[in-house]
Amino acid sequence: MTPPSNSVMPAFFEKTSYARDDKSLAADISRRRFFKISGIAGGGLTLGMAMGTSQAAAQDGSSVAEANISPYVQIQANGRINIFSKNPECGQGIKTGLPLIIAEELDARWADVDVVQADIDASRYGLQLAGGSLSTPMNWTAMREAGATARMMILAAAAEQLYVPVSELSTRDSMVIHEASGESYPYSEFAELASSMPVPDQQTLKLKDPSEFSLLGRRFGGVDNHAIVQGSPLFGIDVRREGMVYASYTKSPALGGTARSFNQAHIKSLPGVIDAFILEPFGELIGSTIFDAVRLGGVSIVATSTWAAIKAKQELEVDWDLSTADTSATWSDISANALRLSKQEGVMEILNKGNVDAAFDNAEQVVEAYYEYPYVSHANLEPQNCSALYENGQLQVWAPSQTPQAGEAAAAVVSGLPPAAVTLNQTRIGGGFGRRLNNDYVSEVAAIARRMEGRPVKLQWTREDDMAFDFFRPGGFHAFRAALDAEGRMTAFSDHFLTQAKNDEAEQPIETANLTPDVLPMEHLQNVRIMQTMQAAAIQTGPMRAPGSNAFGFVFQSFLHEVAVAGNRDFRDFLLDLMNIPDEDMPQPPSNLPPGFPPPIPFSNTRARDVIFTVADRAEWGRPMPQGRALGLAFYYSHSGYVAQVADVSVSSAKEVTVHKIWSVADFGLIHNRSSAENQVQGSIMDGLSQLMYAKISFEKGIIEQSNFHQYPLLRISRAPALDVHFLEPEDVAPTGAGEPALPPVLPAIANAIFTATGERVRKLPLSESGYTLV
Amino acid sequence: MATLNINGQTLDIGNDIDPSTPLLWVLRDELGLVGTKYGCGIAQCGACTVHMNGAPVRSCQIPVGNLSNEQITTIEGLAAADGTLSPVQQAWIEHDVPQCGYCQAGQIMSATALLRNNPNPSDADIDAAMSGNICRCGTYVRIRAAIKTAAQTMSGTAFYNADTGSQVA
Repeated sequence: MTPPSNSVMPAFFEKTSYARDDKSLAADISRRRFFKISGIAGGGLTLGMAMGTSQAAAQDGSSVAEANISPYVQIQANGRINIFSKNPECGQGIKTGLPLIIAEELDARWADVDVVQADIDASRYGLQLAGGSLSTPMNWTAMREAGATARMMILAAAAEQLYVPVSELSTRDSMVIHEASGESYPYSEFAELASSMPVPDQQTLKLKDPSEFSLLGRRFGGVDNHAIVQGSPLFGIDVRREGMVYASYTKSPALGGTARSFNQAHIKSLPGVIDAFILEPFGELIGSTIFDAVRLGGVSIVATSTWAAIKAKQELEVDWDLSTADTSATWSDISANALRLSKQEGVMEILNKGNVDAAFDNAEQVVEAYYEYPYVSHANLEPQNCSALYENGQLQVWAPSQTPQAGEAAAAVVSGLPPAAVTLNQTRIGGGFGRRLNNDYVSEVAAIARRMEGRPVKLQWTREDDMAFDFFRPGGFHAFRAALDAEGRMTAFSDHFLTQAKNDEAEQPIETANLTPDVLPMEHLQNVRIMQTMQAAAIQTGPMRAPGSNAFGFVFQSFLHEVAVAGNRDFRDFLLDLMNIPDEDMPQPPSNLPPGFPPPIPFSNTRARDVIFTVADRAEWGRPMPQGRALGLAFYYSHSGYVAQVADVSVSSAKEVTVHKIWSVADFGLIHNRSSAENQVQGSIMDGLSQLMYAKISFEKGIIEQSNFHQYPLLRISRAPALDVHFLEPEDVAPTGAGEPALPPVLPAIANAIFTATGERVRKLPLSESGYTLV
Repeated sequence: MATLNINGQTLDIGNDIDPSTPLLWVLRDELGLVGTKYGCGIAQCGACTVHMNGAPVRSCQIPVGNLSNEQITTIEGLAAADGTLSPVQQAWIEHDVPQCGYCQAGQIMSATALLRNNPNPSDADIDAAMSGNICRCGTYVRIRAAIKTAAQTMSGTAFYNADTGSQVA
């Protein structure tokens, strides 16, 4: 049976680079449409809202008039400026970052700004999403224009109120300045009139030259930091409503099973239990994309407290119908089969250029190696949760989701409600990493809330639920070969990539288990062949921080290091030589995006070489190291970001690994909040270290074998290395995302150092499987 | 009426509460003190760290029925009554420690307990005291730096009274 189409948004989410000039972006178009609408019909709206009361004012009891200059800017009579942050905040710093860009062009004093999380509203904000390192590059121009637009409207109003031409006025620190008279006036004096001013034509906007920036490029703390350090409610799990009830949800351990029956009478007799019932599955989870509305079948228990719901869950006895479940997927079998299949010809060709066979025939030396990496869990520290209230035909949802618009649509689809009947409120997210691009928890709580009509429900997954029902980073295998000439130069490269598909009939790998033909050295060599073979594994997968790249970084950069060693070349020089191609000769990469999005930009060897040169300098690459200690280098390009890293690593004879320090040099274009960008790189490095040393999800007959942090360790502070984080900011390069590209090179930089220190090449993740411990 | 001593106040939790309920869920669901976070439920992550008579404990492991006169301090009890943040909280802001921020209440509670006993901790002291707290976002280098800044600010002065859980000027 073909499942119903549950897609609620186009699946544009792929690893791709984005053009710096993003003026044609869909989000931008929507935004301009809003301006136009508000310019024509917005007078009434603006006036109506101008008399409203801001949240802060409502709290302290005062009444402050406020004026909505745009969907992003609202100025209060008391001088405070509300800037609306459109995208979800999951730790990537966007709630601070986007408003900073607006404030820069608005000439607002940052201390005057209150950042407000925007409603979910595509008509006003375009695409609202935290993923793909897209938030900054997709909104850079739009946010600058939003700030500049509001500033021009304030200036126009000031000119009218002050009876002076606009040309005599300037702005600074939330003030309009009339230089001739020496007078200056706070923005708030003109805000009400400004809100009814015609919206200036985009062509007339004059954006600042980066040399004029007074905010961007400096260090700013997160706008929620005060609330975070005081434990104030912010996150999805913190949502509380009058009369709230609490739900658990139990799904079939073998993925896809449905509940036939359960010990309902007993469960309902337990203290605090209000209701217990079966939910049918919706859609098909395995192989779904992040924009599909899906729900696994299971049993929900609703109780008077979270604990009562969790405690009752422990006594649940369910008769599972496993006829719809996959009970065959076993990681050890997949791993054993992959090794066998790797020795055969690959089934599908991904890339074949030049004359690979001839190059191998003529090779002075052939290097071969086989690599393996496992499934990995996101392990967000805030376990999945979601709250909802169904009342009077309306469904209200509070969701820590990276794709809140898709979540809102999913809630409507699974509830059979018209989209207008559903409102989703975005909360701060206790860790995204790609897990919360999926909205399965929204689809679950929507059904529970409908059943509990009139009562707000908080659905809380346990840690064990969270680990078993993740959308995992898929495991994979690579059988590499490289041909070298007499000078140690690589003349041909091939990979037999072994991956997974949802079943034997599938023509493509399961979500994020595909290999794109643009990983170094594929675009840099004449003779390249990439083949693919798939095995069936009905394990749900999805994007995880730097999708694809988080595994390819380790295997490709480790293997290239093997090639360099075989050719007796220094790895820095090997990489620099490989990328010694003029930028204009690089191919145009294929676009994975729907129409309306800009084409990706070609890879820049100049920028790549610059980060490698610089990190080598900073780490004093090539210096003598003591016995058992070495430097390792790696480079990786993803999400339009160029990152090179050097790790200083000791390895004892007992395979105890100490990572003393990691140097990271990244080129993400212009850095607009230095503290935030550094935080992202620092975090990516720690994340990579966890993946290198510990992270492994395995499964037996479709059942996930790890349940909590005792079986799935994460890096702790005692193993955290010292870090040196540096950025290159080439002129005239707009910012790209900082949340993902610094992760992929971490693993190979450390692994290459381990090889140099010990002579042992580890080709399988995590390193704990090969007897290494991190100390 | 059962009561708990939380942040210097005696709070009613009613008589109906299941005594096996972990303190974590009483704080969050019954008392609305949601700064203490659920992460793992098995004392692996430290997100639920609170102080019991001044010592850091995992509130997911403490059945509320086992509590009687213990003084509990949560993240909500660290700032002074006038809103002045504790030196540790201030240092966390100064170093812009949080990424997602979910673990940071637990981190701050562990750091606060460390500095009460050891006003001038070394890196090794910090690593030992903070190893029970996972930060999934990897803010560890900033946590180390913030603890050192807080240590300098405090110069050995107590900033809340562990016996009563109340704020000391």
